[in-house]
Amino acid sequence: MTSREREAIFRRWFEEHLGLMLKVVRGCTATPQDQDDLLQDILLQLWSSIPSFRSEAKETTWIYRVAFNTAMAWRRGERRRRESHELFARYDLSPQLQPSHVDALPAQEIVEKLYAAIRELPKVDASLALMQLDGLSYQEMAEVLGISENYIGVKLTRIRKQLAEQLKGATDGIR
Amino acid sequence: MEFDDLQRAWQAQNPAAQVTIKADLLLKEVRRNERSFWSTIFWRDVREVSAAVFLTAWWSYDGWRHHAWPYFLCALICAGVGVFMLVDRAAQKKTQPTFNGTLKSCLDASLAQVTHQIWLLKNVFWWYLLPLLVASAISMSYENLHMRHFDKGAAVGAMLAALLVACFFRWVYRLNQAAVARRLDPRREELEALLASLR
Repeated sequence: MTSREREAIFRRWFEEHLGLMLKVVRGCTATPQDQDDLLQDILLQLWSSIPSFRSEAKETTWIYRVAFNTAMAWRRGERRRRESHELFARYDLSPQLQPSHVDALPAQEIVEKLYAAIRELPKVDASLALMQLDGLSYQEMAEVLGISENYIGVKLTRIRKQLAEQLKGATDGIR
Repeated sequence: MEFDDLQRAWQAQNPAAQVTIKADLLLKEVRRNERSFWSTIFWRDVREVSAAVFLTAWWSYDGWRHHAWPYFLCALICAGVGVFMLVDRAAQKKTQPTFNGTLKSCLDASLAQVTHQIWLLKNVFWWYLLPLLVASAISMSYENLHMRHFDKGAAVGAMLAALLVACFFRWVYRLNQAAVARRLDPRREELEALLASLR
């Protein structure tokens, strides 16, 4: 793979899947500093993973794997590997919704509370919740995590209940 | 509120619209970070092996200068330590976790790596400190045996040097054990807990 091809893949993935990465980042970290740090780590790992990417693999599965594996390895406060802290991105990490959404403001609050609830979950459960909310199938989740679909089903039943329960009180006042 | 409602609200968000990225700067940064990462790994390896390489060169030179085989033996012991470190590093590189594998395989590989690192640091006395101590002892004994006259000053100097070496080795040993307790054991427990939650 030439350097130009690698760069083209990276730019395309970045444009098409940035939303996915940001969801993982916000689901795993709370402060803008940590979010910036983790996002940069994910992008670095994604860049490193491109030479081993084969076109038969599904891109979203690949990116979820890299994002979750990096998030699991990432530790707050660990000395950063990076030389430079020049920010390449300008963040406004308050959730924004598609303009077409009718109840934009209440839904925005729900999403905010969802992120907070996901961050409270154990790491593996948080990754499952993020994928479930994004609408991935059990098979896709199994490919990302390397566990059986049956087990995913069992875990998700509990996680869904837990999230709905946690958000119950919080969302009562919204609608 | 049901989970489906939460999912609908979730899928209506557009997080990518919240970030303005300078793509060229991003690429430059990612490349620089990659170079920086590998350079950090390279210099860490160099730092760890350099003591063994330095002592190998030092005793080889002494052996050549004095035509004394015990110095060559010391050099050989130090070279053995350096080779052990290099071989171990190379073997670990082959089994290091790949971030594009499944979460379970990545956690398995990370746990194996951390467990190996703990083993190395806990046994640092046997594979690093003891060989260097033996080499130092051989070198000092040889020098004392070949002293023509008893020199009190030299004897005191040798004792002080031995004490200094012992203190230094003790410090290295404690440093390694502290790294295990503070950094590696918690990491291993964390990885074990993550793996347990996947079973």
